[in-house]
Amino acid sequence: MMWLSNFISDFKFVFLESERYKLIIEGLFVTLEITLFAVLIGIALGTVVASIRSTYDKNIESLKKRKNLGYYLLCVCNVICKIYLTVIRGTPTVVQLLIAYFIVFATSNNDVQIAVFAFGINSGAYVAEIIRAGIMAVPEGQFEAGRSLGFNYVQTMFHIIIPQMVKNVLPALCNEFIVLIKETSIAGYIGITDLTKAGDLIRGRTFSAFLPLFGVAFIYLLLVLVLTYLVGKLERRLRANER
Amino acid sequence: MKDNKIIRVENLKKYYKGGAIKALDNISINVDEGEVVVIIGPSGSGKSTLLRSLNLLEIPTEGNIFVDDVLITDPKTDINKHRQKMGMVFQHFNLFPNMNILKNLTIAPTRLLGKSNEEATEYAMELLERVGLADRAAAYPSQLSGGQKQRIAIVRALCMNPKIMLFDEPTSALDPEMVGEVLDVMKELAAQGMSMVVVTHEMGFAREVADKVVFMDAGQLIEQGTPEQIFEHPQSERLKTFLDKVI
Repeated sequence: MMWLSNFISDFKFVFLESERYKLIIEGLFVTLEITLFAVLIGIALGTVVASIRSTYDKNIESLKKRKNLGYYLLCVCNVICKIYLTVIRGTPTVVQLLIAYFIVFATSNNDVQIAVFAFGINSGAYVAEIIRAGIMAVPEGQFEAGRSLGFNYVQTMFHIIIPQMVKNVLPALCNEFIVLIKETSIAGYIGITDLTKAGDLIRGRTFSAFLPLFGVAFIYLLLVLVLTYLVGKLERRLRANER
Repeated sequence: MKDNKIIRVENLKKYYKGGAIKALDNISINVDEGEVVVIIGPSGSGKSTLLRSLNLLEIPTEGNIFVDDVLITDPKTDINKHRQKMGMVFQHFNLFPNMNILKNLTIAPTRLLGKSNEEATEYAMELLERVGLADRAAAYPSQLSGGQKQRIAIVRALCMNPKIMLFDEPTSALDPEMVGEVLDVMKELAAQGMSMVVVTHEMGFAREVADKVVFMDAGQLIEQGTPEQIFEHPQSERLKTFLDKVI
């Protein structure tokens, strides 16, 4: 039982002495704060971009005939969305974070806000493609059935397509948020003490790497497990009626 | 000009690839009020394209379609209002899988016709009763057989009180033993004086129920006439060889 008492005394030294566990807890809350608000921005932005992209894909043939203002507006918006998707998905998140910190918001002092913004913009690009794929995965016949009843395009989307789309995208969306939780660990690059940075600080102060880093890894794992469980539960409930 | 023609199609053309493929080549047909028009022809002849053009699920390249004397091919016409008057039944049913049967039937009348939930439900149940499926109101589409799904799909269209019903190969995806129950519902509908346009391979149905049979091939309207003219006295060689094969 030597190892157990060693472990306990190490644990006490690393986390409890000088109340170092408070660093971890504060870091955890920063990580959760950044993730939560970035997810909200990501979903909002992703929904808007996905709506524009799929509206373009579904309607452009019929709008070509008329070439009215709506047609040109849709074309311009679609191009903007495509550029956004290409740039965000084509460059590393760390670089985007640094650009946000040192260039775009060089005058701001609120580091967490900058991180929320950067991660939100980043996540939005992936969420947009997930939602668009989810809309495209609803069979065309569902769309035609809605239109043939007399629903216009927007009504068909809201009443018929989107409720089915939500079920399609839940697993992929959950995956994106798991990625995002872990990706916020680079927030330390712009001087934010998030969970990862807190662990690293303790490592520096105690000259002990094992417990702080494994401790942090364990907390991330717990977060992801809880999220996976919750989404799985939601998914089962949404599908309960279908078979 | 006021007449009893509920649908008039004039010189309808649908081209793909700039005219290289002519899905519809100068089609003109009329549907009188209360008439049952059955469109027959080989696969790829443009039957479904013609039917889907009638409520603009396909946008024609050229030509005019009048419904109730309104030119619906005019971009200024509110097609959504017109689609409410034209019920459509699809080969693959296209019921909404995430809603139970009752919700499938009431979603359009409540959202589009301003009916209250009670009104829409009452009417839906009345129609379900007529097709013998009132006991399945709470079921989901995946729990029904193909024939039941298609009867529900017909009822869903009827819940909007349409003046015209369009059927796009309604029995082609069904097990043979379920074809009868769907055709029976359609026959009853025809007997009540509903205007109907039906694309089908069921020659028996065409012969028995149709007021007018239209034969299409390669995007062209080859012959049209009463069932007797089409089936007993076909004029064109193309129709004769087609009938030899299918009957």
